[in-house]
Amino acid sequence: MKKKLNISAALASATCALLHPYASANEMLEGWKIDTSLMYYGETDRVSAVEAVIAGQKDFGEEQLLSGKIVIDTLTGASATGAVAQLTAQTVSRPSGEGTYTVSPGETPLDDTFKDTRVQLDGQWTQPWSDVSRITTGLHLSTEHDYYSLGFNGSYAHDFYNKNTTLSAGLAYSYDVIKPEGGLPVPFATKTASINTSEDYDDNEDDESEDDDDDNDNYDNDERLGSSDNKSTVDVLFGLTQVMNRRMLMQFNLGFSEISGYSTDPYKVLSIVNEQGLTQSLVYENRPDSRTKTFAFWQTKYALDFGVVDFSYRFATDDWKVDSHTFDSRLRINLTDSSYLQPHFRYYNQSAAEFFHPFLMEGQVLPEFATADYRLGEMSAYTFGLKYGTKMDNGDELSFRLEYYQQSPKNAGFTEPGTLQDVDLYPSVKAVIAQVNYRF
Amino acid sequence: MLKKARITVAFLISTQLVGCVNLGVQPWERDLLAKEEMALDSEGNDLGLDDHIYFSKEATSGGRAFAGGGCGCN
Amino acid sequence: MTNSAKQTAFVIEQKSDHMMGRFSAMASPCELLMETQDPLLANYLTSLAYKETKRIEQKFSRYLPNNPMAKINHSMGQAVVIDAEIFRLLEFANSCFELSDGMFDMTSGVLRQAWKFDGSDNLPTPKAVQALMPYIGWQKVKYDQSSITLIKGMELDFGGIGKEYAVDCVANMCTEYAPKTSVVVNFGGDIQVTRARHNSQPWYIGIESPEDDDKNTTHTLKIVSGGLATSGDARRYLLKDGKRYSHILNPETGYPIENAARSVTVAAPHCIQAGLLATMALLKGPNADVFLEHQDVKFWCYR
Repeated sequence: MKKKLNISAALASATCALLHPYASANEMLEGWKIDTSLMYYGETDRVSAVEAVIAGQKDFGEEQLLSGKIVIDTLTGASATGAVAQLTAQTVSRPSGEGTYTVSPGETPLDDTFKDTRVQLDGQWTQPWSDVSRITTGLHLSTEHDYYSLGFNGSYAHDFYNKNTTLSAGLAYSYDVIKPEGGLPVPFATKTASINTSEDYDDNEDDESEDDDDDNDNYDNDERLGSSDNKSTVDVLFGLTQVMNRRMLMQFNLGFSEISGYSTDPYKVLSIVNEQGLTQSLVYENRPDSRTKTFAFWQTKYALDFGVVDFSYRFATDDWKVDSHTFDSRLRINLTDSSYLQPHFRYYNQSAAEFFHPFLMEGQVLPEFATADYRLGEMSAYTFGLKYGTKMDNGDELSFRLEYYQQSPKNAGFTEPGTLQDVDLYPSVKAVIAQVNYRF
Repeated sequence: MLKKARITVAFLISTQLVGCVNLGVQPWERDLLAKEEMALDSEGNDLGLDDHIYFSKEATSGGRAFAGGGCGCN
Repeated sequence: MTNSAKQTAFVIEQKSDHMMGRFSAMASPCELLMETQDPLLANYLTSLAYKETKRIEQKFSRYLPNNPMAKINHSMGQAVVIDAEIFRLLEFANSCFELSDGMFDMTSGVLRQAWKFDGSDNLPTPKAVQALMPYIGWQKVKYDQSSITLIKGMELDFGGIGKEYAVDCVANMCTEYAPKTSVVVNFGGDIQVTRARHNSQPWYIGIESPEDDDKNTTHTLKIVSGGLATSGDARRYLLKDGKRYSHILNPETGYPIENAARSVTVAAPHCIQAGLLATMALLKGPNADVFLEHQDVKFWCYR
């Protein structure tokens, strides 16, 4: 009896292989589409990061989709603390309080203790709701040694006019916990009295070995607010995808975010300078504990005979008064049936947050909020990139991407006193991105 | 506030444009749109990696997807 | 899609609740029933169906001089390069060979040189049949993803599955280009429905069935989805001394299967699957009914 039934089943399977030849041969990964990437990001003299991504998607039929992603990234190198450069050398303590380091004259103070590894997990499930609509729910988890984030999201999408138009609405909630090294600093508390070792400066930049015992002298003597704090984010997203004609597709998104909780960067400081531009002390920054953001995003993809043009524009604004414009474009040029070249260009600019101060003046009343983090200052940025991709005989795709990213912070209208005029308060940040992808 | 209102109005107008009969294609005209490279998420991991870089180095996040992302990068 | 000058290749008709496209191919009347009132869509799908059917017909026809089939069948023992589609069909034929214990054999077509099923009483001589036996045997065929090698004198005959394969290919195309439209592909009784109609109403399709040698009665078939195929000997047989010889030949003996059913119709998810089950049932001779009962499919057997 069993043998007979097996004929029918075996025939069904043989039929499937004949009529639907692109089903994966590998039983284990049957139906899974996997996309892997390895990326290197390196700034000159500053931060470098290596990031690995494994993303998978499986179609369960009937428009049910499961997708997941694992990201592991490691960060090393130094990032700007927010303190200003000086004409003389400076000695600064590390955030953990373990020792100090010296900054050469004219150089922007960078803190190099940021060696961190982060692991991120994302999962998402899409389920049809009706013939023309579907629901998606997702989970997000991210952990690194001083930051944890857990998020949920859900969205609903509805197709109209033969799937030419799709409207969607989504909601996301995220709960983050920050547990900085050394605890939470008191806003505007003095980090350390600035020590200008002007006369005896020598090339010895790293005082680590000498200063372990001097913890108590050079280390900030303020109490801490506590060891951890949290932040909640609620996001609302509306989307419209529209097929314009046989060659063109457009997408419009409108998003609103409400963030409440600890938003200060516990590692960043501001320099308090006197009228000659000399740093008197370094104080911890303070940002408002709420932020309301809005963005509008528009993207269009146009099919050319030899490839695709992809162009997008995003406008964002918030109640910290940071306004930004982003133009992103890609041109895919198909070299052969199975390979392509894709140049990429992105332009970004933002205005400074209303509490951005590159430095504070001695003797003036401290503002309620202040940050010298250049990432909240006025700046523009360019990215130029090139990607090459090729499809192999078995259907797998290999691609390489090389990009150059340059940020140019600008003076948002602050007058520089004294010697600060002779140092570069807004150094450019230049980075190279190199990435390899393998999709199967 | 005014900026927010302007954005919302622009969005609403554009959704009204959708009602135009001229837009869209018949099922058999989807040959080009069905190509892999015309999908909105055809870049795969690139967009997510880029979003992470720009979220860490700039003050804005979001656009293609939710703005919140949850990591200690910014 | 360009409009070729040969637009009379197919005809579109508007019916009360659907549209029909008709053309002739593979020695059968071919029709496409589409649940739509849009003449553009009907025209487009029928045109696609016509082109695809003609493509398959020309690629696998035994009668054309220069097509892939001719190259394989006149290869004189040399290896011939094949493409992915031919490879897939060979793999399928191989599965069928194994599942039918060697009864379904695509190399048995050479027997038509001895057997002419024209309703007469001209049986071939045993010598004529034996002379062909060395050239029959699927196990003698060597093939891989890129080429096939037959012994000189051997031939491949896709006739047994060609029509059902075309039906399934056309149905796949209709599903791809009009995924929300229910389409019936009906090539002379080999049928595939792409998806159920709105409200799961059935399609009513007229099928010829062999009641009598000269006459054919039309039955109305009710089908919601899936595939249907009929294998039978309506007009192809030999009659001698009161014994009916069907055109279903046993590749191991070279002689017709005894006591084969006159006609078997099977319903299965895909047309080619139904077709194979029907053919295998015929090859089981007197055991056709028992065989099909064990396959857990709907079937009709006429003797």
